[in-house]
Amino acid sequence: MGREVVRKRLTEVFRDVFDDDSIVLTDNTTANDIEAWDSLEHISLISAVEKEFRMRFTMKEVSGMKNVGEMISIVAERAKK
Amino acid sequence: MVFSSLIFLYAFLPLCMLFYFLIKPLKGKNGVLIVFSLLFYSWGEPVRVLYLLLSAVVNYFLGMGVSPTRVELKKDLSTPTLRRKILLAVSLVFNIGMIGVFKYSRFVVTNINGIFGAELPVPDIVPMIGISFYTFQVMSYVIDCYWEKVKPQLSFYKLLLYICLFPQLIAGPIVRYSTIAEEIDNRRSTVADISTGISRFIMGLAKKVILANQLYRIVDSTIGKNDISGLTILGAWYGVIVYSLYVYFDFSGYSDMAIGLGRIFGFHFNENFNHPYLCKDITEFWQRWHISLGSFFRDYLLPIPVFGIRNKYTSLFLVWLCTGIWHGANWNYIIWGLYYGCFIMFETALGKKRIAKIPMLIRHIYTKLVITIGFGIFFFEDLGNLGTFLKCLLPTNANGWSDMTVEMLMANNLFLVIAAVICSFPLVDGFKKLSQKSENVKSLVSVSGTVLSVGLLLLSSVLLVDATTNVFLYWNY
Repeated sequence: MGREVVRKRLTEVFRDVFDDDSIVLTDNTTANDIEAWDSLEHISLISAVEKEFRMRFTMKEVSGMKNVGEMISIVAERAKK
Repeated sequence: MVFSSLIFLYAFLPLCMLFYFLIKPLKGKNGVLIVFSLLFYSWGEPVRVLYLLLSAVVNYFLGMGVSPTRVELKKDLSTPTLRRKILLAVSLVFNIGMIGVFKYSRFVVTNINGIFGAELPVPDIVPMIGISFYTFQVMSYVIDCYWEKVKPQLSFYKLLLYICLFPQLIAGPIVRYSTIAEEIDNRRSTVADISTGISRFIMGLAKKVILANQLYRIVDSTIGKNDISGLTILGAWYGVIVYSLYVYFDFSGYSDMAIGLGRIFGFHFNENFNHPYLCKDITEFWQRWHISLGSFFRDYLLPIPVFGIRNKYTSLFLVWLCTGIWHGANWNYIIWGLYYGCFIMFETALGKKRIAKIPMLIRHIYTKLVITIGFGIFFFEDLGNLGTFLKCLLPTNANGWSDMTVEMLMANNLFLVIAAVICSFPLVDGFKKLSQKSENVKSLVSVSGTVLSVGLLLLSSVLLVDATTNVFLYWNY
């Protein structure tokens, strides 16, 4: 799946999880840029992304993703729909 | 050995520093720290050091085993090989299993005997002081190797130094390998490091000896009595509030001493406390209290899908159940962990935005109430006593509002308790800000800081000569 398609759909997921329609995702977006993105909401986010793209993240990825760019790469490679 | 003892202050530490700073090569310095750390751990119970060494050897090999080999690295595999997965499982079973054997076997067997009427022999095992702390450290190392966040340490002595370093060995902070990996190989203590480290150590010592130990006498005369059925409402509240202050000064004092000692030897550990009683919600309390344990669970436990499901509430349940269990082999700790879990789930469900709208005064009253009653649960290992105590807090307490003994106790310790409350605020940060105003103020603050440190050290030493209660609360963990 193309990175731009992933980014577009991921933006919707982020807006939904963090209840904030102003979110715009770049590759460099991190948890510091989105106020509501803490370690707990991270779990909700991961779960929502997994549902949206019908794929699974590993524990290492859940705990170690540095920014949205990395998330897009993983999703682009592994997304099932 | 404990930091707040005369033998540590006036023999162990000066000798360790003497050898450390006399020897110039870093290899020698690391050697001094290892020798002194093993001596520190074996003090009073030499057999303990054998298990520590066993854990270091096993995890040394496992750390290398769970890391990708050069060939695997070249292939750039997206998932770890079966060998790495199996060895990770072995490390988790070994480390958690060992904590289980040393810390929980008695509890588990007693409960099995109680519930099923079995007559299994209750094991009598030497308690491994600090096992929960250093085992969590070494587990974080192995998992980080598996996740390729750190490179495995090829030198056994350097890994042993990380595991057994006496400042943080027995009561935290839980230092991550990545925090000090570089400093093991490359560090120096400047005069500023040594002086900051010593002041920080003395501050922690004073928190322990001058505040915590003295506060504990009040606890002993109120909720710590053998028979608490006569507690009045004021007695129960006063006792548990003072106990909450005691736990804070005891444990954060230990962390201050650990961080200060680390600094003397050129190590920079992360902070473990950040004025927890200033918190405005319970979630924030745990971001300020025992930070290294919270971040351990955040990084290694929170991402685990419980029964295959990723959900923040199931993850929270797991984290708080484990937080409870980690704190001790007794039901009250499990209740205590889940009690906090409930409040954090409640706050999560309410959401940050709605919490922010609640008036600040109400938020402070709510958090302090939850924390204080929480420490009541934490204090009473006997659930019958816990029930009696909780009933004593209520206005329906048949013993009445107050009694002479409590009023005398409050009057006699008025200044101590006021001092303790004041010291829960970020005073040092205040002085630091003040000293930025001008050079004159800076030198004044610096001189008063030195005088204060010397004074606190002398006063602590005098109190230690006469000490009866001096064991750290957290050192059995």
